[in-house]
Amino acid sequence: MFGKLKKASNGKLLEPRTIGIPRALLYYLYPGLWETFLKELGMQVTVSAPGTRKTIEQAGLISESEHCLPVKLFDAHLAELAGLVELIFVPRILSTLPGHIACPKLGALPDCARAQCPGGITIITVDINENRTPLTESMAQLGRLLNADETVIHQATERALSALRRARAVPTAPRKPDALNFLVIGHPYNLHDSYLSGPILQKIESLGVNAELVSFADRTALPEPVKWDTCSIMHDRLQRLVPSEWDGVIHLSSFNCGCDSIVSTLYQEVLREKEIPCMTLVLDEHAGQAGVDTRLEAFVDSIKDQHEHAATCH
Amino acid sequence: MSMPQLAIEPWGNYSLALAASVECLHVRPWTHTCTTPEILKLGVEASPEFSCLSFKVTTGHFIKAAMEGVEYGVMVNSQGPCRLRYYRMLQQKLLKERGFNLFIFGLGYDGIKPPLIRHFNPTMNDFLRCCFRARLKVVTIDELETAAWTKRAVELRAGDTTRAMNACIKDLDQARTVPEIKAFRKTIPARFNQISVDVNRRPLKVALLGEATILRNSFLNQNLEEILGGLGVEVRNFFLLGEEMRNIFNIGTGSKYGWKAMRKLAKPYLGTPVGGHALASVAHTLRCAQDGYDGVIHVAPAGCMPEISVRPILRKISQDKDIPVFECSFDEHTSQVGLVTRLEAFVDVLYDRKTKKEL
Repeated sequence: MFGKLKKASNGKLLEPRTIGIPRALLYYLYPGLWETFLKELGMQVTVSAPGTRKTIEQAGLISESEHCLPVKLFDAHLAELAGLVELIFVPRILSTLPGHIACPKLGALPDCARAQCPGGITIITVDINENRTPLTESMAQLGRLLNADETVIHQATERALSALRRARAVPTAPRKPDALNFLVIGHPYNLHDSYLSGPILQKIESLGVNAELVSFADRTALPEPVKWDTCSIMHDRLQRLVPSEWDGVIHLSSFNCGCDSIVSTLYQEVLREKEIPCMTLVLDEHAGQAGVDTRLEAFVDSIKDQHEHAATCH
Repeated sequence: MSMPQLAIEPWGNYSLALAASVECLHVRPWTHTCTTPEILKLGVEASPEFSCLSFKVTTGHFIKAAMEGVEYGVMVNSQGPCRLRYYRMLQQKLLKERGFNLFIFGLGYDGIKPPLIRHFNPTMNDFLRCCFRARLKVVTIDELETAAWTKRAVELRAGDTTRAMNACIKDLDQARTVPEIKAFRKTIPARFNQISVDVNRRPLKVALLGEATILRNSFLNQNLEEILGGLGVEVRNFFLLGEEMRNIFNIGTGSKYGWKAMRKLAKPYLGTPVGGHALASVAHTLRCAQDGYDGVIHVAPAGCMPEISVRPILRKISQDKDIPVFECSFDEHTSQVGLVTRLEAFVDVLYDRKTKKEL
């Protein structure tokens, strides 16, 4: 199996102490889980630093030019970890939700990481396919790869899962009266990457809008019509929206996202039927914030205008 | 009452074979062996911005067909993680939004008697006869393509092979019955042998692999095969429908290009099929390195999810196995010049390597 640890000449497993987790894709898909789990196993865990302008510039330089932005950022975070740790954890994510499949790019990620990383660094990987094996089993496999005892693995799994539940259950802030209510949707790795989404969310707030981020804690989405896991959760949420409670939806997509190219049409269809205004913002490598700010202001203004118009007509 | 028409997605020369296969349904096939700029424009206008070229072009075909009054269309179904899974659903929506009444049937993964067959309900006899005829045409086209690749690299008068190929395709289209197709097939070697060749030329051998629609559609790949042939390169296009069908229907999958062999070969570099032909791209690149190809050209529509995701792996293989890999993405730009310049440079490098190796 990939990532099996090398044995020393005396037959004992060499026990590595340091393991790195890139702060991208897998980190946001399972917030808090891997960090807690590996720490509980007794590893010294390094998570790459939160993204900055430098990360994006580095990503543009070293990554395959046609990758989507999150995968490019993943490459930059991976490069940052190289040299700092002995092992880097990159799971092969095939499905994060029973009955669904993950974005195909995530399946090739450990192989790509191995192809890109300089020698001397071991990429450690397990298959995550919640269609076939429960998450706990994948975690146990990882524990065994790292040569941990079953009891330790069991305990670590429990703690990691509760950390995951806590991180996923984003508390909903109390709504301000008389303010507009927006739902912000997007893949967790776009929505929760503070460098990518932070300025946009701040801008929304500064315009006096209550913004709620879509939650990925609800795992009940059906695989029809969208089979991709995170997209399906968002599609499901949009279908359950009550039009009177929401004034708008903002979709944070990322440049060259294959999944969003298909499903954003479906999101828009749902929202058109419910008559909820929707705007898609595409995150890319541009540093200028002005363009996004103007679009947000215009979007909020036009909604306010519409509300006033409706009020005077009645 | 006139026969209803059925639009078939464009598959290069294989469109002929697909057209032959639907004759048993008592429909008139609507298809082109090549896309036109107009079709591409229609598709690009209707499709989401970041969707891949394959989606845009098939959408364009269906819109064009609908504008010409075609009632039905057929599109392959997919169960994989690639965007192909959503093509039909989305195309049906896009057509409906524009007020067209073209119904698209899915094909594949929907039972032993798919809706397309159930709707037109051909007799078993007709159906089998047409399937057999279509398969024979596919195999014949495979043979024509293979012959053209070798001849084009050594032809004395530029364009002879393409002319012979076009004439053959025309004749094959005319051949309606199995004996006719078989008789035609026998004439292929003689027809290609008439082309005068330069016996002293030792052409480079380059593999074309990647995404199937682009590999097969000479409009989308800007006549890649002919450009390379003109530069004295013998190409091997790794998408042959005959080979692909064996994999689809699980026949002889243990053979050299069967998926079992490919999966085993690709295992050290890629542990999952990813979707599309990504695994095949990795396996074929490794195979080409073993078989002594001079280079590999990886072809994909810009932003193709599976193919782009394996590009870092192809780069690694290129380093490890010392085989040049040229990555080439296609979008709706139709100017050939940029591509020709890049290909000329690549071929120059390959010649250089070959001469140095021989010294």
